[in-house]
Amino acid sequence: MLRQIYDQSSRMRRMSVFPQHGAALGHLGLSANEIRQEVENNTSELVSDLVNQSARARFQAIRSLPMPFSERKIIRNRVNSVKQSKTIIPTNCGQQVSRSFRRFRAGLASARQYLIIWHDTLKDIGGRFGTSVLSYFLFLKWLLKFNLFSLIINFCFITIPQIVHAPNISSVTGFRGLELLTGVGYFNQTVLYYGGYNGEVIVSKPGYNMQLAYFFTIAAYLVLCGVSLIYSMSRSFQKNFVLDTGPVSGGAWRLLCSWDFSVVNEKAIQYNKNNLAIQLKESLSERLQEKNKMDLSDRIKHLSLNVLAWLLSLGLAVGCSAGIYFLGTDPELAFSFNHSPNDLTAEASTLLLPVVVSIINLIVPILYSLISKIESYSNPRAKIYISIVRNVILKMSILGILCFYWLDFVPNSVSCWESFVGQSVYRLLIFDFIFCLIGIFYGEFLLNVIGTRCIQSLGVPEFDIARNVLDLIYAQTLAWIGIYFSPLLPVMQVLKLFIIFYLKKISLSMNCQPPKHSGRAAQIQTVFIALLFFPSFVGALSMVAFTVWSLKPSSECGPFQGLDTPFHTIFSWTASIQGPSETNWVWWIFENILRSELFYYLISLIILVITYFLWQITEGRKQLINTLRQQIVNDYDQTPHFNPNWMNTLPLDM
Amino acid sequence: MPCLTAAFCASISYLKYLLAFGCSREPVCHGAAGMGNKQTIFTSQQLDAYQDCTYFTRKEILRLFHRYRDLAPQLVPLDYTNQPDVRLPYELIGSMPELKDNPFRQRIAEVFSEDGEGNMTLDDFLDMFSVLSEMAPRDLKAYYAFKIYDFNNDDFICKSDLEKTLNKLTRNELTEDEVRMVCEKVIDEADLDNDGRLSLEDFQHMIVRAPDFLRLHNTYCPDM
Repeated sequence: MLRQIYDQSSRMRRMSVFPQHGAALGHLGLSANEIRQEVENNTSELVSDLVNQSARARFQAIRSLPMPFSERKIIRNRVNSVKQSKTIIPTNCGQQVSRSFRRFRAGLASARQYLIIWHDTLKDIGGRFGTSVLSYFLFLKWLLKFNLFSLIINFCFITIPQIVHAPNISSVTGFRGLELLTGVGYFNQTVLYYGGYNGEVIVSKPGYNMQLAYFFTIAAYLVLCGVSLIYSMSRSFQKNFVLDTGPVSGGAWRLLCSWDFSVVNEKAIQYNKNNLAIQLKESLSERLQEKNKMDLSDRIKHLSLNVLAWLLSLGLAVGCSAGIYFLGTDPELAFSFNHSPNDLTAEASTLLLPVVVSIINLIVPILYSLISKIESYSNPRAKIYISIVRNVILKMSILGILCFYWLDFVPNSVSCWESFVGQSVYRLLIFDFIFCLIGIFYGEFLLNVIGTRCIQSLGVPEFDIARNVLDLIYAQTLAWIGIYFSPLLPVMQVLKLFIIFYLKKISLSMNCQPPKHSGRAAQIQTVFIALLFFPSFVGALSMVAFTVWSLKPSSECGPFQGLDTPFHTIFSWTASIQGPSETNWVWWIFENILRSELFYYLISLIILVITYFLWQITEGRKQLINTLRQQIVNDYDQTPHFNPNWMNTLPLDM
Repeated sequence: MPCLTAAFCASISYLKYLLAFGCSREPVCHGAAGMGNKQTIFTSQQLDAYQDCTYFTRKEILRLFHRYRDLAPQLVPLDYTNQPDVRLPYELIGSMPELKDNPFRQRIAEVFSEDGEGNMTLDDFLDMFSVLSEMAPRDLKAYYAFKIYDFNNDDFICKSDLEKTLNKLTRNELTEDEVRMVCEKVIDEADLDNDGRLSLEDFQHMIVRAPDFLRLHNTYCPDM
């Protein structure tokens, strides 16, 4: 239907160029009256089409009509009059009711805007720096939502019952300032950590089993996170990695599709213009370069440089991880695990590990960018992806070695080891925050001063989106790992994200300029969401799952004291509901389906078969697209077309 | 707890709205939808028509009207009930902060104005911001983007249109040769039916492969 409207409006415009009478102009073949008749037919068809749709779809369709406002109003009035003449119910009443209902819904939708935090700030950022920088802030807001949700459910389901029915836990020491950094001391036996909870069954009308509550709250939160991440990842993938058939060279689409209309700042627009020129020049030179094939010796040289750079990067990552492990298991440091609560120096020495980890996270990416300068890539996008991969390997190997340390070394050395792990995560997060502040100050503010006053050639620092997003992902992984060991840890993460949002925004306006290579921002966004899911969330989930499934919980503190593994609480619960017949089915499902391996084999087999079918369908569709594409070209060649240079074809003696 | 937050936010926004308008304006209908017809600028049928044909709510339409009027208070009457024929010249439209630095402001005004010269009535003004807002769907934006880039209004983006687009986006950075090569490359890549110029279908096909398009073609409405 819309296609006919496009054709009709273009035909009407073409008609106005030519004289009113006569078909003497060859291909048009229709007189003015006939065109008007056709327009009228199309309009009636459109109106009847619209009348048959539901009210909401109808108004959506009217709003999206690609015609000037006056014509749209005419169509709307005709649709309304046709609708009026059709309805049996007194029209005034029915129409008014439906209209006010629609207005109410629209009002609700706009009122919802006010509940979205930072709505105006985000628009301002998008207007001044463009959409790729905006994507960083949107990512931050998304992470904030995860943490806020976790905070609310943990607080409601675990902390409040514990506080209300708490046994008398008196703090061993008073509040000294060091707690904010180390998390021990005053905070030690509080509900901030795992050790502050006990697993009793609270005596109330339906008994509230704290063990089950702890287990299920955390499990439910992690499962919901997983589902939400998978959903976002698949939606993003579907939107941004559309089937790329046909010529794929990525240069020219920039001209027509990449101008950022939402930027209204004059400086930013000038900046975008310069960028576009640079990118167009680069894509032109790429095209020229493709034609020069590199000879063999050059290729070997490039390859060996790449291999060398990779070896260096991986070596650095492995070295740092080993260093952290040895630091953690250092006997002098390990002695501080079971120190008396009043020993300040021993407590302060626990800060050494987080400081070292944060320094590594700050310095090694800079080393990586220096290393990547020795390589040369044909494609600037490949460079960005490779640097992202290397940084991810570094951060995940650090986190991996820390997890190994916490699950392997610590349970045998400390009495209440889950609280200790919670405190370690707390310290890591605090120092990550402190170093982020240092990074903003030194990295961006000072570099800006140096770049503009002292060494003019450096220029204003660019806002490095990839590095900032990877920092956010690292902090979020820590938060996810720490939720089991410290249920109120999201408080810190929420505060941290809030403060970082405002600081980054201020720093951006004062110190930085938007990144130069901002093409394909949508694809990089998908990569970031995928990274948040695959090493980050899956890693945290596996660590928590391993703790729950196989590790013996500490016997003096925590809700699972006395059990073999925390998972045994589920066994005892299902055993307890086996008896009464109305809950027997839960036990039956648990025992025979969830605990049997055959079920999982069958499910995996079915999923594999479905995946294979879907893949075959995709292949078939690709072939169909190619055939249709060929058909378009053939069609165009065969039908007669209006030649704009028709005057040149007239015989000269006319 | 969510209800309290909602009530709190609603009251803050109401205060913000009142403060934004100040005392010197006419009493305008404020608040959520359906709170009474205290405004005298439009008849209720006119407002309904605007709400049905654009993506704006009643409050946004009134705000946009005041923005329109602020461009030339002596030309625009406060009473639109008898549909006065008022056209603001292109120079005033092009001086709005949302458009004044946009390299395509003249084409945008020409595409959305009735007379094709950039002189806009209130209807054209509302239409323009409605299409450029975040709520417009991709096909509609693609259609108008195509018209914006089609400088000679022949429903095809030919090489000369591309060259003019390129010159608006980059002034002196590319040489003439480079300009020509870029335009050839665009037509090479995007032209499906091999007629040497881009039709609307070719353009839409290209948009499908550029997922950023929808996000990039938004101009945020004034004061919203």
